[in-house]
Amino acid sequence: MAVFTEPALPPTVSLSPRSATSDPPWIRVCLVGAVVVFLGVLFVLPLVLIFQEALRKGWAAYLGAFADEEMHHAIGLTLQVAAIAVPLNTVFGLAAAWLVARFRFTGSRWLAALIELPLWVSPVITGMSFVLLFGSQGLLGDWLAGHGVKVIFALPGLVLGTLFVTFPFVARVLTPQMQALGRAGEEAALTLGAGPWRVFWSVTLPKVKWSLTHGIILCSARAMGEFGAVSVLSGHIRGATNTLPLHIEVLYNEYQFVPAFAAASLLALLAVFTLILKNLTATAAAGANPS
Amino acid sequence: MKRRRHVLPGFGLSLGITLGWLGLIVLLPLAALAWRAASGGASAFQRVLGDEQVTAALTLSFGASLVAALVNGVAGFLTAWVLVRYRFPGRRLVDAVVDLPFALPTAVAGIALVTLYSENGWLGAPLARLGIQSAYSPLGITIALVFIGFPFVVRTVQPVLQDLSLDPEEAAACLGAGRWLTFRRVVFPAVLPSLLAGVILAFGRAVGEYGSVVFISGNLPFKTEIAPLLVISKLEQYDYAGASCTGLVMLAVSLAILASFHLLGWWQGRRFNR
Amino acid sequence: MSIHIENITKRFGRFTALDSVSLHIRTGELVALLGPSGSGKTTLLRLIAGLELPDGARGRVQFHDRDVTLAGARERRAGFVFQHYALFNHMTVAENIAFGLRARPRALRPSRAAIDAVVQRLLVTIQMPDFGHRLPGQLSGGQRQRVALARALAVEPEVLLLDEPFGALDARVRRDLRRWLREFHDSTRLTTLFVTHDQEEAFELADRVVVFNDGAIQQAGTPAELRASPASAFVADFLGLPACAV
Repeated sequence: MAVFTEPALPPTVSLSPRSATSDPPWIRVCLVGAVVVFLGVLFVLPLVLIFQEALRKGWAAYLGAFADEEMHHAIGLTLQVAAIAVPLNTVFGLAAAWLVARFRFTGSRWLAALIELPLWVSPVITGMSFVLLFGSQGLLGDWLAGHGVKVIFALPGLVLGTLFVTFPFVARVLTPQMQALGRAGEEAALTLGAGPWRVFWSVTLPKVKWSLTHGIILCSARAMGEFGAVSVLSGHIRGATNTLPLHIEVLYNEYQFVPAFAAASLLALLAVFTLILKNLTATAAAGANPS
Repeated sequence: MKRRRHVLPGFGLSLGITLGWLGLIVLLPLAALAWRAASGGASAFQRVLGDEQVTAALTLSFGASLVAALVNGVAGFLTAWVLVRYRFPGRRLVDAVVDLPFALPTAVAGIALVTLYSENGWLGAPLARLGIQSAYSPLGITIALVFIGFPFVVRTVQPVLQDLSLDPEEAAACLGAGRWLTFRRVVFPAVLPSLLAGVILAFGRAVGEYGSVVFISGNLPFKTEIAPLLVISKLEQYDYAGASCTGLVMLAVSLAILASFHLLGWWQGRRFNR
Repeated sequence: MSIHIENITKRFGRFTALDSVSLHIRTGELVALLGPSGSGKTTLLRLIAGLELPDGARGRVQFHDRDVTLAGARERRAGFVFQHYALFNHMTVAENIAFGLRARPRALRPSRAAIDAVVQRLLVTIQMPDFGHRLPGQLSGGQRQRVALARALAVEPEVLLLDEPFGALDARVRRDLRRWLREFHDSTRLTTLFVTHDQEEAFELADRVVVFNDGAIQQAGTPAELRASPASAFVADFLGLPACAV
């Protein structure tokens, strides 16, 4: 057993209450400095660069990049895909959170793990899987061709890929929140004679509204920014199946740097906006939890 | 009379929606992938995995991801520590910036990073003067993977650090231990499981990453070609067997990572008798 | 309304919370379910409310002559008051109390005016007449518990079930609420069951006390009967009686 000897303290020194668990000031300064530098170089610098490159040739060129019709179409397609995928995954997220948070059944842990699976699959693999399923050489290719339905290299394919990639986002945020809030509210409503839908609408949803908003925001941001999966699924048909991220790639590869970064700046602004909203809803959700 | 199984309503409906949607959107396509990969038989697998280009790509993807995950382990832990334990001006801003790679679309990050680290980029130029090539090299790939994996480590360690009681540290101080010793023997072991979990998460994320990396890598076969890009070029050449076999290997690794992550959580739960 | 429980067993995983428990509660009684943590008393209360379901096929729960064993919480409509109130934090006090009435199907729902009258009457009963517009977050613990009581009473249940209703409150508030509950029960004669681990509270309030331990009923009787002849060493020990009284 080691015996530690500390130098005797001068009698006039008064220690602040928490000094036993706080690090010496020089360490604090070094670590905070190191972290700030790391984050600044690795994260803030690229963000700043996006805007710098977008405005490299001035405001006129920047705004002119958005006048392009292909750009309009790309933006429109991105919004369209998100508008379809996000509500669907939100409904799913609510159902999955209700199931996992409120019921005990065998296999619930497996189910929860499976729901998280899309986070671990490379977006390229995702796209490829849908191609293998719905593509012309795929499992259902002949059936689809026979019915004149185009999935791959068309909007349905983009939506499916986006659905896969954003699958768990709402559920992931809602489930722990619902678990933390407990069932007492819903049980109380039942004892008062409320039916299932009323319990859900009047009691559950208001309790989770901030987490739900948070989840929807994350899901939307991811849906609009998705690149790998839609890259495989879109066929890169300009003006038809290029979402905004794909259009950025096209512009960049053609050395049209200002339009590429202009489009990128739009998505970067969306990302910053997402972060702000995320911050706000997270604080609101924490505040809404009764102690 | 039918025995009711659950007190709260909606079990059947939520189970139906969850399983149905899960099966349709997630399991069905992955099954198609597995089917296609298996349909070539073991010989196709051997041919694909024996292909040097494939092994080079897989090695690069796994290797760079591992290095990036380890870097993130250190940097992420420090960041989580600083955010939880210290008060400094701009703390909230730093906290928000941590999530930036998570919120930023991968293609946007991709072109930003390649421009930053290219030979006349803001960081690429000084590095080039030092004789280090960053863009179009494994280093660039690793930097991009550090970029995207960072939030996973921080956000996994942060809540655990937050919930850590200060009492054991105070006890250690009362027993005469210095801060470094207290950290090494009291604090760090308590957060190690979550740090490992975060590193695993970052690794898993990095292995499959495409958009952030494809621009900065340059995609030179055998040198800077990442596995996802190899899969895409195989698809474009209609080598479905090759693409699906490579893809299945990547998927198997992802699943193994997911399983080990959950096992780690289960182990941690048992360890602390939660 | 009387409550009849027969051979109820409830297990959670490997833990047996209730082991073939039988009990009869007479109409209008105020009964305390007393025992240490994990003894099964809360589980039994929740089973009566329909918030838990018994294991096995032999158990039976009857309200008067109605077999409610397989009925859900919604059908049984026992008034239930939770230990931590379970108020709807996004609704005002008045909306909380009115919830059960508003949740009724259209055919059985009273008019707006009738509901408001009920809410107002109950607010007076719980001695909070001007609190209708407040939110639960603005109330003290004791006030929240009173609102929870009013909410449960609004739907005119035939039995009132309280799960450690005063456990989260400080001593003075607890005393006041206990007195209020006793007076309320005396005037309404509503069959009431409450769970507590506080022996003093049980003895002060209840007509009859049921002592639980390890998922079984050790003894049931009036406070006087229990004091006079505790049935086992556990009962004597738990009630703080000398062991030789057994």
